[in-house]
This record gives sequence, structure tokens and C-alpha cells, in this order.
Amino acid sequence: MTALRILAEAAWPDPEARGPEQLPPLPGFSASSFNPLVAETAERCLRARHGDAPAPGRTALLLASASGDLATARAIEEAAADTARRMPPLLFFQSNPNAVLGHIAARWGLTGPVVAICPDRPPPPGRVPQDALDLAELLLADGDADQVLVIAAEQAEQTDEDADGTDRAVALLVTTA
Amino acid sequence: MNRHAPTAVRPVVTGVGVLSAAGEGTTALAEAVVHGKAAFGPVTRFDVSARRTTRAALLPEPRPLADAVLAAVGQACRSAGLDPADPDGGPPVLLALHSDRHTRATLAEVSAGTTARWGGPGVLRGYTGACVAAGTAVADAAQLVASGRRTRVLVAAGHLVEPGVFAAFDAGRALARDGELRPFSTGRSGTLLGDAAVAVLVEAEPEAERRGAPVLARLAGWGRAGDAHHVCRPEPAGDGVARAIGAALDRAGIAPEEVDYVNANGTGSTLSDHAEALALRRVFGEHTDRLPVSSSKAVHGHALEASALLELVVTIGALTDGLLPVNAGWLGPDPEIGLDLVLDGPRTARPRYALTLNSAFGGANTALLVAAR
Repeated sequence: MTALRILAEAAWPDPEARGPEQLPPLPGFSASSFNPLVAETAERCLRARHGDAPAPGRTALLLASASGDLATARAIEEAAADTARRMPPLLFFQSNPNAVLGHIAARWGLTGPVVAICPDRPPPPGRVPQDALDLAELLLADGDADQVLVIAAEQAEQTDEDADGTDRAVALLVTTA
Repeated sequence: MNRHAPTAVRPVVTGVGVLSAAGEGTTALAEAVVHGKAAFGPVTRFDVSARRTTRAALLPEPRPLADAVLAAVGQACRSAGLDPADPDGGPPVLLALHSDRHTRATLAEVSAGTTARWGGPGVLRGYTGACVAAGTAVADAAQLVASGRRTRVLVAAGHLVEPGVFAAFDAGRALARDGELRPFSTGRSGTLLGDAAVAVLVEAEPEAERRGAPVLARLAGWGRAGDAHHVCRPEPAGDGVARAIGAALDRAGIAPEEVDYVNANGTGSTLSDHAEALALRRVFGEHTDRLPVSSSKAVHGHALEASALLELVVTIGALTDGLLPVNAGWLGPDPEIGLDLVLDGPRTARPRYALTLNSAFGGANTALLVAAR
């Protein structure tokens, strides 16, 4: 059983929004909705708890994504496959999920561990994978953080006929119960 | 103040497996790092003619990523004396991999292969956090064992140089222009990528004793901290690295002066190497002048998500063999670095405690502290 206390939560899309929402662009990131999705959901969760930056204390960042950043991965593959084409330099740091976590950490002053995981399957829409909650509990027990911002983000695979085409993310700010 | 929970059980390493550009197994890797024999060569696996840098450290015999990881898993389980028929089942696996469109398929393949050969639940979780992915997995494995949640956990990692990441790193001007990785050296111009598949079995010390398993080293401490600075640049003063080291020392309950060797992150990047040197000076003070440091990346390359596990194996080798890895690629001192680098070898030593450091995009830092048995 997970012994966590939820301090704040947020979701994209917001289930209480009155109409379709547009993700704000994230300066320095391109080619994919994944990083704006993670950043905006984290921002909403941290604002719900702290109002404005910085956040106090030692907070860890834990990003769980079964899909990963599909659009960036595809953009890198396609640019690399055509050697006559220039690889966009921004894709260098965007080639891994830590970069957007660095953006969130820098903006909010989060000095705890920075962790990215791939659960074995995506969670149901609007849920955080149990595995991510188990890991958040382990991080808190380990002692390098007082709070953990857990972000579960899934990017829709546009070519997957089973997907509904909607990117989804949930963020929970948790501490020890 | 010690913020870290006292450990119920001491985690130890009872098995290791490795495939690197130096060849298969720990002997080939140790031979290369203690003599400073850099394993870089021209990339022939894919077309690099349009890239600024055309060199990397590749496996002598190419093989698919999951096959390479399973080979490392097999080495680690055999060297730890695990019995596939053990009714307790094989160890759960934490697996560090690059995040791309193949990640989940590789996780599934390694999971199925591990369960089929060694039993157990297979892969519990993938770690995709760039160059600290494997270091994070080791810290979690250590905490799972130390807290009594698990009696043993297998940490595995794999990275094979491939066209996409190579091109992205080349475009980001992260790769060494002169085709040599020169950590902490004057004239350093960037990193070079390397292949690696690695596995390390972390086990509760009482369980290892009960089985009569060979104990290679003890995981005495581990620490993780974020820079809170930038998406990809390190915090210039090495603040996050210093806090990660401090947490590892704190958990082990030892003084900085008791550390006798540091396997540095040392990517060959101008900014990152400088920040790391400042962090070491901040933590170790005057002891820095007598503290041997090297980055074995200069020999086996930067294995990204697998780098921390590869370098943990190198660091354990330094403890067990009494020979320190060489900081190869050296051209001369950078006056802003000020470290006691291991510049020739083999250099004999008997480290009591050795530290291995890794840093990644997002300002993530890990420190793993290993102790001789």
C-alpha cells in the first residue's frame, strides 16, 4: 500500500475546462507536444500548491511515460535517415525526457532527484501508474527529497487507430503520509 | 544532520556482466581502462559522412540491443552463482534504456528473456533519464534491498550507438571535433559515444552470505540531486553534483577523507568537466590534492543511459583489482581543473571507498559510493 499524502494535483486536459484547451508553447522546445504537455501539467500542479515560484524545500521530479516523446523520436529518426538534411540542433537536448524536467526544476527551484521512467504499460486515462507512486514512496523513504512531483504523461500516437488522438497528463505533488 | 534512513540491510554486489567496446566481460574492460587503451574508431554501422565527428567506441561484434543486454544479464547471474532452478525465482530487473520508439519493445524482450532463462518477474520498470538513468536504477535497487523490500535486484542497462542520437549529438556540437575524448584536459572539445550492455546484481548481504555468493563490493552510499539550473547545461559551480556526493557520504556515514578514488563523470565537455571539478573541490577540500580521479569514458566512450552502470563496473574493478583506471586522451593541464588525475597506468592502489559520478540533461546528478568488502 502506498503511504503518500497528496498535496496538489492537476491534469491536462483539465476535466473541468469549459471548452477545448490549447497547450502554451514552451520556448526552446520544438517538433513535439510532449514537452509543453509535461511542463504545463507540472506548472498547474505546482501553482495549485505554491502559487508562484520558487517552491520551498527539496522536491524531486518523477516523470512516468509509457509512450515517451514519440514526435521528437520520429523527428530525430527522419532527420537522421536523410543525411542530406540538417538535424535541428534543438533536438539534441530534446532527445531525452530529462530536458523538460530541467526546465521545470530551474523555473521552480526544485533541487531533488530528477527521474524519468517508462512503466510497462500506459495507465488508464487520467491516472498515475501505480509503479510511479511506488517509486515516489521509495524516493521519499530514501531521504533525498521531502516532496515528489509525479507527472504521468502519454503522447497520442497519431498513427495508432486505437488511440483517441489526445495527449494526456496528470501531475501529483506528494509527500510522506 | 543525517537525513537518510538507517539501512536495515547492507546491499552488496554479487555479480556483474558487461559488453563494451573493449570486448566481452570484465577482464577485457579492466585491461583497457587500467592501461588507458582508448577503444574509439570510425563509425561503420551507419553513414556518418555528413557529421562533424565520425568516431565512437563500438562493440567488436555488433548485436541487437536486447541480445546484448541479455548476454550481460547472463554473465552477471552466472558470476553471482544464481541457480535458474532456485524456487525463490530470479531477480526482478530494473532496466535503463534510451527513450525512443523501440523502448517498450526492448523492455518486453529483455523481460521475457530474463524470465525464461533465470525465472522471476522480469523487468519491473524502465529508466529513461538520460545519462543518470542507470545510476538512478542502482540507487533504487540499493534502497529496495537496504530497506528490506527485496533481497536481490538486478540492474541492467544498454546503449548502442545509433544514427538518430549520434546525429542529434553531432548537431548539438556535443561530440569531440578531434575524434578523441579528453576528460579534464586542455584542448578538450566534447564527448564521444560508446556501446555498452551491462548488468549488476545487488543483493542483501545476509542473503549473499547464506548462498555463499562471491561479494565483489558493498554499495555503501548513494545520492541524487538536481541542479535546478537549465534544460541541458550544468550548474557552473557543481552545486548539484556536490549535494549528490554529500548525500552518498552521509548515507555511508564516512568522512570525505576516506574516499580513495573517484571515477568522474568527465564527459570531455568544457562546461561539465569544469563544474564537476569545482564540485569535487567543494566536497573534498584539501583532500582533493591527494584524491586520484579519472574518467574512464576516455577509454570506453559515453554510453549515455548505460554509462553509470558501465562506470560502476569499472569502479568495482578498481577496488577488486587494486588498479586505477587511466584518464586517457590527456594533452595537458587545464589550470581551472586542479584535480589529481590518473594519467598513466597501471597505477596500483588499495581504495577503501571509491565514488562514481554521473550527470545528465535536466541537471540530474547521481553519486554511487562503493566499498571494498
